[in-house]
Amino acid sequence: MNNTVIIWIVLPALLGLALVLIQRQTKLSAVLGSLIPFVLTVLAVVFSKGLTLLVLGRYFILVDSLVIFGRTIQITADQLGIIALLYFLCFAWNLLSGLFKVGHWFNSLSLIITALWVSVQFINPFLYSAVVIELIALVSVPLLSPRGTPARSGVIRFLSMQTLAMPLILISGWMVSGIETSPSAEAIILRGSLLVIAGFSLWAGIFPIHSWLPMLTEESHPWIISFLQTIMQISLAIFFLKFLNQYAWLRNLEEIKLVLKWIGALCIISAGTMVVFQKKLSRILGYLYLSGTGYIVLSMAFQQQGWLDVLSLYLLPCVFAYWSLGYALSLLREALGSEQIDFSELSGLIWRYPLISVLLLCSLLNIIGMPLFSLFPSHRIIWSILASESLTIRLLISIGLLGMITMVLRVLGMMVQPPEVTDQDKKEKPVFIVPVVLIVLLMVLSGLFPQIFSAPIQSLLISFQNLLL
Amino acid sequence: MTEFLQSLPVYIALLAALLNLVRRQWTLNLIALVVQFACLFPMLLKILPLQLALIQPFTGLMVTLILYLTLLGVGGIKAINLLFSLTSGEIFRGLAGIFLLAILGTFLPQFQQAVFPLVPSNHLFLSIGLVLIGLTQLGTISEPFYLAIGMLTFLSGIELLYSALEYSFLLEALLVAVNLLLAIVGAFFIVKNAESESA
Repeated sequence: MNNTVIIWIVLPALLGLALVLIQRQTKLSAVLGSLIPFVLTVLAVVFSKGLTLLVLGRYFILVDSLVIFGRTIQITADQLGIIALLYFLCFAWNLLSGLFKVGHWFNSLSLIITALWVSVQFINPFLYSAVVIELIALVSVPLLSPRGTPARSGVIRFLSMQTLAMPLILISGWMVSGIETSPSAEAIILRGSLLVIAGFSLWAGIFPIHSWLPMLTEESHPWIISFLQTIMQISLAIFFLKFLNQYAWLRNLEEIKLVLKWIGALCIISAGTMVVFQKKLSRILGYLYLSGTGYIVLSMAFQQQGWLDVLSLYLLPCVFAYWSLGYALSLLREALGSEQIDFSELSGLIWRYPLISVLLLCSLLNIIGMPLFSLFPSHRIIWSILASESLTIRLLISIGLLGMITMVLRVLGMMVQPPEVTDQDKKEKPVFIVPVVLIVLLMVLSGLFPQIFSAPIQSLLISFQNLLL
Repeated sequence: MTEFLQSLPVYIALLAALLNLVRRQWTLNLIALVVQFACLFPMLLKILPLQLALIQPFTGLMVTLILYLTLLGVGGIKAINLLFSLTSGEIFRGLAGIFLLAILGTFLPQFQQAVFPLVPSNHLFLSIGLVLIGLTQLGTISEPFYLAIGMLTFLSGIELLYSALEYSFLLEALLVAVNLLLAIVGAFFIVKNAESESA
């Protein structure tokens, strides 16, 4: 039990399995599902200074590695920041899971999925993590496709894409093994890089292979899909950093920066243009994830002084933005009794559900990076770096942003229309005023004072020594 | 003659995969899947010790058993109808599969030399052939049972190829878990579809 791998990977996975047994007791399951990741987050923060802790005169010393099937999994103190972020994410989503109809599996599977994402970051050789990501996709299926509904195309396409990505990463690892000692192997470097980029593109749903993303958000509960996509986006970003950190040939390849810039720009413009024509809020969520992936990729493309800080600055506000949007959409779904939240259903929403409307609008403005909100500081840095970029890339990103603003204005336009039907029975609960005010306040405060979010995660990516310029 | 006998499992496995691609008859597909997995054994035995060579075919049999029991539960197991005429869709899929294998066979020597010089040609032909047929299966149908078969075929090709490149117990354990979970997910989808059809 005094091993970091057991505490943050094996134990949570086992506890997640144990929660399966009590999933019918929803309240107990929700409480434990929140408590366990919370304790793991606190422990990760406490031990992130060092793996030795003195409590009441007694030393607690943690071992940092475990050998499984002849391979070593190692979690050192400086990597615990990443673990704290992932378990905090799990805690944040489990905390409110009891409010929504997310199914019996959510608490147990979210814990198992988080443990698996943690293991992805630390398996050695790290290329084997590709298989764990496939396992995560398979474990997610009961959440994405609950019983009582037929298997829909979004989840099937998602599974297919994740399955196709796995061998690309595995084979890239074999192909470039030992390349550090033969720096002249340009053809192999190019092939390896292509495989890595293709694998990550399939995993993250990069334009133009993103079709599963809006399909999946349309088919699933917003609270579930926001959890799965947020943890996936953050974990894949960190995993890609691991590739860059580990492989000097990939890091130093000039073309990779250009490719990343174009991928980022294309994701942002495609999300921005397609979001304008959507008629369902549930699909819009998918395009917001596509745009978010674009910004993360862009921040990785500019490997200048302090670029890791920009990425760190982005991650926690990004988690908060998706969490608040997921919360707003889930409240709306429950209030309207609508699975996909069509635009026509938003007519007069602000008169019927003022608090949910305010939360939804603020969450949308936050997630697209508007001033005063928490994601603005990191977006502003990315935009200012772009000022020195080519006109084409600047133009693409501007159009993408314009599309997002248009979408928010469309939502606002529908909300303020006089309501077509007035259902007096359906009224917003006044109790919502407390969480809504707190969330909006936190959004604005962290936009004005970015250190609220940046201070706790300053040393998050410190373990990527080769990337610290 | 010896060369032909050594290549026999390759052709039988590819034929079984092609049958799964072409014909949509659950009982026949399950038998073809068993044959496909069983034919991996002689290929794996050439590069791995007996105990390790048994893992992938044995996992394949377990996977097929999971799918069989699920189909049995939803009343999907029926007598095989051997007297049938091919539909246009079946002819198309069959020709597409044969075309892909022919292209692969034509360019295999160059591909082997450029990318996988250490992998024996029979081994490479079977593994890439399974990958291609699995991908075609994934692209031509949305029925859960056939998607599961497509993914399993694709993965078995990848596993076969990777076993010739490097071997790791951890990776093998993870791949076994993926295969079994894939079968469970396939079974989950089959049951879900059966439930929503009967509702």
